Parts: sequence; C-alpha cells; structure tokens
Amino acid sequence: MTTDNTIYDVMVIGSGFAGMAAALFAANRGLNVVQAGSTGGIDFSTGFIDLMGVHPIEEGKRWMDPWACIDTAVKEMEGHPYGLLSKDEIAESITEFTAALSENGLDYVGYDDRNTCIMTPVGTVKRTYRVPKTAWKGVEALEKKAPTLIVDFFGLKGFSGNQLVEVRKKDWPDLRCARLEFPGARGELYPEHMAWQLADASNREKLAEALASHIGDAEYIGFPAVLGLNDPLSVIAHLEELTGKQVFEIPTMPPSISGPRLRGAFDRCLPAKGIRTLSQKMVGAVTVGDDYMEFSVGKGAGACMVKAKAVILASGRFFGKGLKGQRDKVVEPLFDIPIRQPEGRDGWHEQQFFDASGHPVNLAGIEVDAKLRPLNKEGEPVHETLFAAGAILANHDWMRQKCGAGLAIATAYKAVKSLKG
Amino acid sequence: MTFFDLGLVLASVICVAGLVWRVSKWCGRPVRNSAPFSPLKGMQAFVVDVLLLARTGRQSPLRWIGHTLIFVGFMGLLLFHALDDQITSNFFFGYESTLDPWQFLRNLFGLMVLVGLGIMTYRRVANKKLRELTRFQDWFAFLLVGGIILSGFFLEATKIMSPRVFDRMVYEYLVVEDGSDLTALKAVWADKYGVVFTERLPMNEETLARGMELDEESCMDCHSNTSSSFVSRTMATALTPIGPALNRSQATEVFWYLHLLLCFVGLAALPFGKFLHPLTTPANLIVRQGRRDGEGETPSVRKGLGLDACTRCGECSLHCSVAPAFSVMGNSDILPSEKLISFKKYQQGELFGDALTAFADGSRTCTECLRCTDICSAGINLQELWMEAKQAAQVQRVDMNMAVRQLTPKGRIQTFECSDCKPDIYGLADNKESYQGCVQCTTCTSVCPVVAVCEDASADLDLMPQQIMNLLRMGMKEEAMGARMVWSCTTCYKCQEHCPQNIRVADVLYELRNTAAVRMRKGNQ
Repeated sequence: MTTDNTIYDVMVIGSGFAGMAAALFAANRGLNVVQAGSTGGIDFSTGFIDLMGVHPIEEGKRWMDPWACIDTAVKEMEGHPYGLLSKDEIAESITEFTAALSENGLDYVGYDDRNTCIMTPVGTVKRTYRVPKTAWKGVEALEKKAPTLIVDFFGLKGFSGNQLVEVRKKDWPDLRCARLEFPGARGELYPEHMAWQLADASNREKLAEALASHIGDAEYIGFPAVLGLNDPLSVIAHLEELTGKQVFEIPTMPPSISGPRLRGAFDRCLPAKGIRTLSQKMVGAVTVGDDYMEFSVGKGAGACMVKAKAVILASGRFFGKGLKGQRDKVVEPLFDIPIRQPEGRDGWHEQQFFDASGHPVNLAGIEVDAKLRPLNKEGEPVHETLFAAGAILANHDWMRQKCGAGLAIATAYKAVKSLKG
Repeated sequence: MTFFDLGLVLASVICVAGLVWRVSKWCGRPVRNSAPFSPLKGMQAFVVDVLLLARTGRQSPLRWIGHTLIFVGFMGLLLFHALDDQITSNFFFGYESTLDPWQFLRNLFGLMVLVGLGIMTYRRVANKKLRELTRFQDWFAFLLVGGIILSGFFLEATKIMSPRVFDRMVYEYLVVEDGSDLTALKAVWADKYGVVFTERLPMNEETLARGMELDEESCMDCHSNTSSSFVSRTMATALTPIGPALNRSQATEVFWYLHLLLCFVGLAALPFGKFLHPLTTPANLIVRQGRRDGEGETPSVRKGLGLDACTRCGECSLHCSVAPAFSVMGNSDILPSEKLISFKKYQQGELFGDALTAFADGSRTCTECLRCTDICSAGINLQELWMEAKQAAQVQRVDMNMAVRQLTPKGRIQTFECSDCKPDIYGLADNKESYQGCVQCTTCTSVCPVVAVCEDASADLDLMPQQIMNLLRMGMKEEAMGARMVWSCTTCYKCQEHCPQNIRVADVLYELRNTAAVRMRKGNQ
C-alpha cells in the first residue's frame, strides 16, 4: 500500500467513455486529475460514437437527425440526462473529445447535423454520429451501394462475410464476400493478435496476394477490424496501395479491436496531460472528509491511497461495477447513493427477454441535480463536490436508444463544467 | 613438544590436507577455447576488486564498510602480529610487540575487526531474508574471528594487570640494587601502566621519580606506555576491581591458551566451507578479471575455484528475480546462495531423493536473468553453473512441463486422474464462484502473449484461456488440466489484469499446473 499525498482537484472513477472524457476535459481546464478504473466497457466498444438514434424505445423508431431525436426524447422521457445539457454543450463535448483522439492517431468522421448509417458485423445498419476514419469508406460504399467485397478469415469467429451478404443482398446486389487464410496464423484467431500480425508489412503483402483473385470488379474492400492496432490508417493506406481499391473496416463482435484502440489512444493521451492514471485498478473504498475525500484504490501490493477535493463518478452500470444488483435491490456500492429503480425485483424485467420496450431495470440509475450532482433520498446533493456522468445516470436506455458514447461524453463535459464553477 | 608447536603442527596438517582435498575436487573434464587471461586486467582486478572490495561496494555501502574493516584489521593482525617473527621483525629494525606503533596498531586492527563484525552481524540480523539464509557456518565464522580478537584483547589486558608478568620481566631485565628500587618501579607501573599489585605501594613524588628513572633505564626501550594499547588498557582499567582475582587465577595463561587455541582452530578450519574464501575469492576475482557476465565456457579448475569462492554474503539471493517463488514454495534451492551448496553436493554425487528433486526444481525455476552473477562480490560465474544445473536437472528429474507435452490428450487425463492430492495452495479451480462472472468475452485470450506468438493457437495450446474457464465452470477440471495452454502460461497476469469481471485467470491456470504436478509426482513414486 502506497500513499499519494497530493490532494488532487478531482478524482475520476471509471475508465470507460465517461471516465476518459471527464479526465480529459478536467485536465484541459487546468485541473489536477487522478483517474482510476479497470478495463470496463470501453474494450467492448465498436469504436463508433453514438449520439442519439432511437426513440421511442418501444417503437424502435430510428432518427437520422440526432438533435431532433434528443429534443423529443427529453420532452417525452422523464429526467432523460440529455435534458440537463444544451445542444451547444453536447456538440462542444463531442468536438473536444474527438479532437483529443485525433491528436493520438484516431481520426473520427461524421456530419454535424445528421447521423451516419453504417454496417454492423451481422449486416444490419445502425445510425451513429461519429465513426473512425478506418470505417468511413464503408459508409460511402453503403450509401452508393458500390461494388464491394467483404473479406473474412478462416478461424475468426463472429464475423461472416456470407452473413453480411445474406442480410444486405436485397438492397445491395453488388456486395460479395470471400474467405481467406489469414497470413501468419492459423486455427482459432482473435482480433488483437491478427492486428499485431498485420502491423507487419510483409503479412499485408501476403494478404493482398491472396486477395488478388477475389477482387474482380469490386471498388471497395471491407475487412473485419483487424487492420493494425496502433496505426490502422497507415495499414489501410498500404492495403489500398497494394490492391488499388478503397479499404475499410467493419467492427467485429465485441471485444473488437476498436475498443483497445480507443483505450490505447487514451493511455497515450491522458498521462501526457499530467493526469495520474491508476490503470486496471478499481476504487475499493472512500472516506469523505471535510476538505477532501480519500480513496483506497486497487488491491494487494499495488494498492494506493489518493486524496481529491472533488469526484466524478463515472463507474458505469452493472458490467462496469458502478451498479450492483442485490437480491432485492440495485445499489451503488461506493457512496451508497440511492438508486432510482423499479419497486422490487419482480419489476426489473418484462416477461420477454427481447421485449421491444426494453426492461425497467435498464432505466435504473442515480438521479442528479442540474449540476450533475447525485441526489440523496431528500432530493439534496449527496455531497457538494460529488458529480456523476455516463451510463450510471438514471432514465435512459443507452443501448436501445443508441446514445451510449454521446451521453457519456456530454454528461462528463457538463460535470467538469459544474465542478469548475 | 609444547602446546604451541603441537597445536601449530596439528592445525597446519589439517589445513594442508584440507586444502589438497578441496582443490582436488576442482579438476574434471578439460575445456577448450576458454577465455584468455590478461595479466593487466588480472592486476586491475586485484587492486579494484580484491584490495578495494569494489564489488562489495556495489552491493551495499554498509557491507563494504563492515567487510573493509574486517579485511584491513585482520590482514594487519595476521601480517604484523601473528607473523611478527617472520615479517615484522625482519623488515622493521628494533621491532618489539610492546613498542609503538605496533602496540597501538594491534589494538586499532583488533578494534576494526570487532566493529566490522558488529556491522556484519547487524546486517544479518536486521534483514529478515538474510537472517533466514544464515547458516551455522556463517555464525561460526563470526564467533571464531570475534573469539580470536576478544581473547587477544583479554590476554593483553590481563598481561597489563598481571604482577606475575611484571615480576618475570624484572627478573629477566632488571638488576635490582635494593628493595626500594623495585618498590619504586612497581609504583610507577601501577600508577602509569596499570599493573594491579596486591600490596600497597607508596605513591609519593620521591618514589615515583625514582621509579621513572628506573623505567627509563630498563623498561622504556622495549615498552611503550600501555595506554597506547587503548582497548586492552581500557579493559584492564575496567577490570581493576577483579584484578587480584584474575591474577590469582592466572587469567593470563588461560587467555593465552584460549587465544592460541582459537587461532589454531581458525587455521584448521581454513579449507572448510566459507572459511576458504579469503584465499579462493581473491583468486577467483583475479581469474575473472572484473567480469560480471555469464559468458564463455570456463575450464573446470576455474569453475571449481568459483564454486569455492562463495563468501555466503547472501546478496545473490536478495537480488534473485525468482526469490518470491521461494517464499511461496519454500524450496531453498531456488535461491542462488543455497542452490550453490546443493550444486556442489550434486557434483560430488552426494545428492539423492527429495534433495535431488528440490535441486532440480530449484534449477528449473531460475530464469537466467543474470542478476546473481552481476551482483556477486566474489565474481563467481553463477550463470554458467545454473545452466549446467538445468541440464543436470533435465536428466535427473522429470520436468512436469515437458512430460505433459509428450503425453497424448487422453494420456494427460489418465495421468491426472490418478489421485486426489492437492497442491500447497488450492481452492480456486474447484470453486465455481471463481468463474461465476465470466461472460466468455475472450479478453483474456486477446491479451495473452502466449496465444499471440502461436502460429496456430488451437493446435499448439489445445484451449484458449476463456475456454479453460468455461470447462472449469462445467466441472471438467481433468480435461482442463491437460490443455497445453495451462502448461505454456508465463504467468504474466495480463489476462487477470484485463478481465472486466475480475476473474483470477492466471491464478487458476497456475493452480491447475501445481495440482497436476503434485498428482504426477505422486503417480511417479
């Protein structure tokens, strides 16, 4: 156990989209930041930054205009977190976030006023707001329905060119697929290892060689997202040069390489901004003092104590361990913040697993005031300098509404803004 | 034959015979292409590594101070005091052991050794790991050297006090004209030099003045003031109250015998254990010419010298990369300083049974990181010895990892099913709660460097980490234990650190391997 005697301005708990964003925004505003959190959800991200795509949930109505969708959802859903933010704040937060990613080698593309349609690994089309540049040509190909070849590999599970073609062939007749042996590895394949292999130019040459006879009239070639880990754009450029075609990536089943790429970009970016990052460590306990809070972070020999004047709770939902489902109720394990939730466990879920309206427990979470401070039973802030951001907030269903990353980034932005005063 | 002659002859015979026995073990198979010896570098090593103890200084300043004090002090005593008939009296005209600077230097050197021993003892007691490593021979060496020095100081102190010694000297060197002269001299020696006489002596100025005259005439040529032997004289002053009793019981003789006896024991002990290091360590340091690497094949004579050059300082074990494995497994042959002892026994063909198994296991645990070789103050090429030990271990005892690889998948299950014995630490693999949170997300596999280097992971490793977790969850431990993934794990802990559900993936794999190893061992017996 080590003790850090610095009293940080803010402790960010969580290392998903919300945590990374909060740490970034706070550091950009001159605050002394410490951040802790384990792998969490970011490794399972598609790499897309959704803003808002679906409302109402039960109808599954898809929107091309995220801003109109947000306005409607805020009006019709009680306490939706987007209601705490202005359009400008949301837009600014996304811009600042993607700018930081761009500086660290992950360029993002998208329209300001509308969503982008993009293909998922199972061939469906989803609406999102910003996509990695590595996937952007897939958007073009889909829009133009251009002659396109989808490549998959023997041994890579959860990504089937055949399935994509099967799902899309009605509206995209020029979509074809080919299955290749992966250069440099056989048997069971996993995206991260494939990405390392393709970081080697000689493997890309072998791949292009194997590909040559399949290209035919295709203008675009779509690959599962395995085209390099840290510098995918140069891998793509090289493949385009070798094949003479436009190349793009489609995220694989989670965990896709897009997640580790995002985490990698932040692992480079945040420490460089002077943030103390306690990576792969979870906050175990917190003691609230008069002037600062003290956190015990991590376990065993690597454990440490850190102090901070404020905290942004971005610990996510159940998978991120921000919420904990007990037999009878959902709790917030760190500060014991009251959770807005259905009465009793029977009320958590609908009868059908795939119920169109989702499940009541998906809307559970912590409720906050206008400054994003969690509220206690009396409706007062739990603590003057305790803020919350991201999926842990109540009254949204990020998965079905396609608003996960956007909501995380925007609420983190607002939390930092409130904290800065 | 006097006690001195008898003791010296006996000790010398044991010493010479022991040296022959020890050195005879160095010879073995000849090796060609050994590194050439450069006299210049050898000389440099003699100055820097032997005389200045530079390599000890690299380890810790405290140990350097302690060892330097002992080294300088003991060598000073050996050359100028123990061998005074051979060296000092031949090279320094008019040498008398009771004249300054020799009398003063003797005390200084003795005190240096005692302080040095104090520092070394503190080092061994204060450091818990080192304390555990310390064996009988280490404490015995401290006691023996400390005993020689202390008995010497007591001998000198009791001599200072002794009227009997005074009388003998007077009888031999002074022609007494009348009784009052003797009394006067006695008064001076009692007053100035600390002799404890039983009778009361007149301490008036007149007597003392006469005594001083006599002292100048007859004594001072051979005797400096005893106050320059600052340790012994202080001790004598402190012991004055029991002086008469000491004198009556002939303490001088007792301490003389004790001092010599301990010196003879030291001489006889020289060829044994670490007592040889004052000879072998400098020789090895010169032969190694300042190198701290593990390269080159060493001729067996030099290797034997290296094996015997260990001072048992324990620094190698304190710096050992796999020392944590020792604290878990309790096999002391993991630690370099202890493995060296077993290695010598192994070379002599004196290692059997469990001891041989422990040696083989300890040798395999070594990662050849070179840290022990780098830190060794005796300059032993430990790396080379460990490589040899590993090869030996391969032949002598089954390497579980290799054995499992050679089995067929079916054979593995049969081997592991044979008993229900458990490793020292267990409880994860059989507990379904260990994997309750697993969502089969493959993060563990994605980050695994072992999977990453496989050309065909499923063919080379049988199962991926997340698949092993799933098998265990289904209660198929025997099947999981045979997977080569389990046996290829480097325990880098990336899987465990990255697991979003905090599952102890690496700990589980490790436990499986330990369980299988225990079962196979039982099956082999």
